[in-house]
Amino acid sequence: MRLWFGKWTSIAKESANRAAIFAKFLCLLHVTNTYIFSPILVYGPSMLPTLNLTGDVVLSEYISHRLGKVGPGDVVLIQSPENPRKIITKRVVAMEGEVVSFLVDPSRSDRSRTVVVPKGHVWIQGDNIYASNDSRNFGPIPYGLIQGKVCCRVWPVDCFGSL
Amino acid sequence: MVYGSSMMPTLNLVGDVVLSEYISHRLGKVSPGDVVLIQSPENPKKTLTKRIVAMEDETVSFSVDPSDGDRSRTVVVPKGHVWIQGDNSYASHDSRHFGPIPYGLIQGKVRCRVWPLACAGSL
Repeated sequence: MRLWFGKWTSIAKESANRAAIFAKFLCLLHVTNTYIFSPILVYGPSMLPTLNLTGDVVLSEYISHRLGKVGPGDVVLIQSPENPRKIITKRVVAMEGEVVSFLVDPSRSDRSRTVVVPKGHVWIQGDNIYASNDSRNFGPIPYGLIQGKVCCRVWPVDCFGSL
Repeated sequence: MVYGSSMMPTLNLVGDVVLSEYISHRLGKVSPGDVVLIQSPENPKKTLTKRIVAMEDETVSFSVDPSDGDRSRTVVVPKGHVWIQGDNSYASHDSRHFGPIPYGLIQGKVRCRVWPLACAGSL
């Protein structure tokens, strides 16, 4: 009877240890995914040909924008100013204080407009200007809406590498 | 710890410690009348405390410069944005100056004040 009880406690201890290790691993994974970097599935036509229509998994990191190290040419994840639950992927074209010249509606006319980006804002555009809802439609967005910077693509494997 | 003159008399000039929670705005449970913490649209490293006056698709009438005349303007808040104003409309730099802000800039909702103890309680 005593032997059987002893075996039970050792099994219970071992499973508690393993559960603790698993819980620690999950915590580390969550912290990494939220605050450091994580893979994100992005899809849609607005960043063709850089990103595919049907979806790519990209690695995005969440440290650069907090340090202010986001500049023109970076592909960033931003919280949409029109729908706060939606995250969109676009390229930063200009930072605050810079002047942007853009085509208002490239598929229909050649009209272009010039805008100065106000303080604390950035101007974003999709690479596919014919099919992108970006700063040309909703104006410059506050820097605070930037959620992360995309560093490289991890899937599909044959397009692996930086963007 | 929040300080400044833009939310007087609700919050003190020299500083109060308030309790703010970070769940409501993710669930969309933020509404007019709430005091919220927002990331400033003019300086992303600064956090401001203001009150929400109107949500998206509502109309806002405000006096442009209360210390300098009675002129007032009416604006419709666009989709995905909110209109914020400080309680002290004479000394507050808010949506009357920089326009409606995207909902995504809201960082948290202020629930109650915990310091100084004499004024502890909900705002």
